[in-house]
Amino acid sequence: MRDYRRYAHLLTLLLAFVAAPSLCAAREYLQVFVTAPYLELHTGPGRGFPVTQVVARDESVDILKRRTDWFKVRTARGVEGWASYKDMLSVVLADGTPFTFPMGDRAGYTSHKGEIGVFAGDYSGATLISAYGSYSFNSQLAVELSVGQFLGNASNGTLADIGLTHTFVPEWRLSPFVSLGTGVVHIEPKATLVAPPDRTDQTAYVGGGVKYYLTRRFFARAEYRSHYVFTSRNDNEKVDEWKLGFAFFF
Amino acid sequence: METGIRILLLSVVLALSGCASIRNWLDRDEPTEDTSAQADTQADADDANAAPPRVIEPQVARRTVKVPRIDTENIEIGGVFGALSIEDFGTNPVYGVTAAYHVTEDFFFQAEAGRSTAGKTSFETLGGNVTLLTGKERQFTYYNLALGYNFLPGEVFLGRNRAMTSGFYLLGGIGSVDFAGDQKFSVSFGAGFRVLPTDWLAIHVRMQDRIFDSDLLGEDKLTNNLEANIGLTVFF
Repeated sequence: MRDYRRYAHLLTLLLAFVAAPSLCAAREYLQVFVTAPYLELHTGPGRGFPVTQVVARDESVDILKRRTDWFKVRTARGVEGWASYKDMLSVVLADGTPFTFPMGDRAGYTSHKGEIGVFAGDYSGATLISAYGSYSFNSQLAVELSVGQFLGNASNGTLADIGLTHTFVPEWRLSPFVSLGTGVVHIEPKATLVAPPDRTDQTAYVGGGVKYYLTRRFFARAEYRSHYVFTSRNDNEKVDEWKLGFAFFF
Repeated sequence: METGIRILLLSVVLALSGCASIRNWLDRDEPTEDTSAQADTQADADDANAAPPRVIEPQVARRTVKVPRIDTENIEIGGVFGALSIEDFGTNPVYGVTAAYHVTEDFFFQAEAGRSTAGKTSFETLGGNVTLLTGKERQFTYYNLALGYNFLPGEVFLGRNRAMTSGFYLLGGIGSVDFAGDQKFSVSFGAGFRVLPTDWLAIHVRMQDRIFDSDLLGEDKLTNNLEANIGLTVFF
């Protein structure tokens, strides 16, 4: 009974924690002013949604939220609608300075804070599924964490790596990079008669690849990594990893 | 004699003018006396025009304009519940979690994980007390990383006064299936329909095929495992 009560308390706390931000309704919104002849408001966040309202020049709107390339705004009369990023490029702040926001274009591709991506590939003959996230120190150097699972006929396993990536010329659309790091690999051999035990080994890798900017926020990435697995046996193993995938930057 | 003096004078004049021009070539970068003199006179004029010292220092604090952060809602997280037809093992309830990141208005990345428990094959049902798999091996657990494409965005209408944003989307992804004591690489294809009653809440109806290679019943074959589910997600 006492346990239930404790859980009830925890649940109340959790609910309070989750609900608090939405209850704080007195949120301040950014007010911007229209400088183009008019600002078109669509009924939804997409290019096909009809335009049902326009905001005239010099009138103001409050920016409520942003979803992908669309801004939900509210006019002084309380009308809400979605404006495209292209139209929002021509609005200004109250002090007359232009309203700027990250657009995910080539400038963002050259210099951004983070990347997340998904790969399919090959890890020493086994099929590899992999995902990565990176944090950029500057436009060239980033720290990168990648995790993956490989599924093969002889063995299955998981791997996790952390390392540094250096992009040579970040402003190029097709941009080569090199990477260096360390990680762990867990291998579960699939043997029917005598099952060798699972093992976890430390690894180090060196690799390289290319990134190619596709469209806003999106890029393709192909990569090769040469892993050295420091086994507890006499010889260390060398494992090749090839992968190809999509990623986005933010 | 006179001619000699003339020649001497002429040559002296020529030599001097030549030296002068060469000196100009060499000292081109150095300011000449004339320009420095001009600069001096300008400086004097500036001193004369300078504002008199202020009597009262204005005590006006510069107002700093705090620009509020714009709330970006590109992440979608939620749960799904539905039915999964595991090839040869019947159709069973499945539940899972899903998370998506909307990159552009057209594309999104989606990660999902789910679990179901396989039923009995017809062989097990007819064969009496034959069991192919243990209880734990019957658990069908999957994860999947997919790319989604918003194929047909639009609006749906509820009665006369209510319009809700909706969208039909396509999904293609890769992942892994843990079933019958083995993990297999899987490929998934699917389509879904999403309706947003409010800006931050979405209801999904989805159909997906999870394809993987199985050798469970003796021969290697591609198995198609169809899943239909209903999901509820929140944007934030």
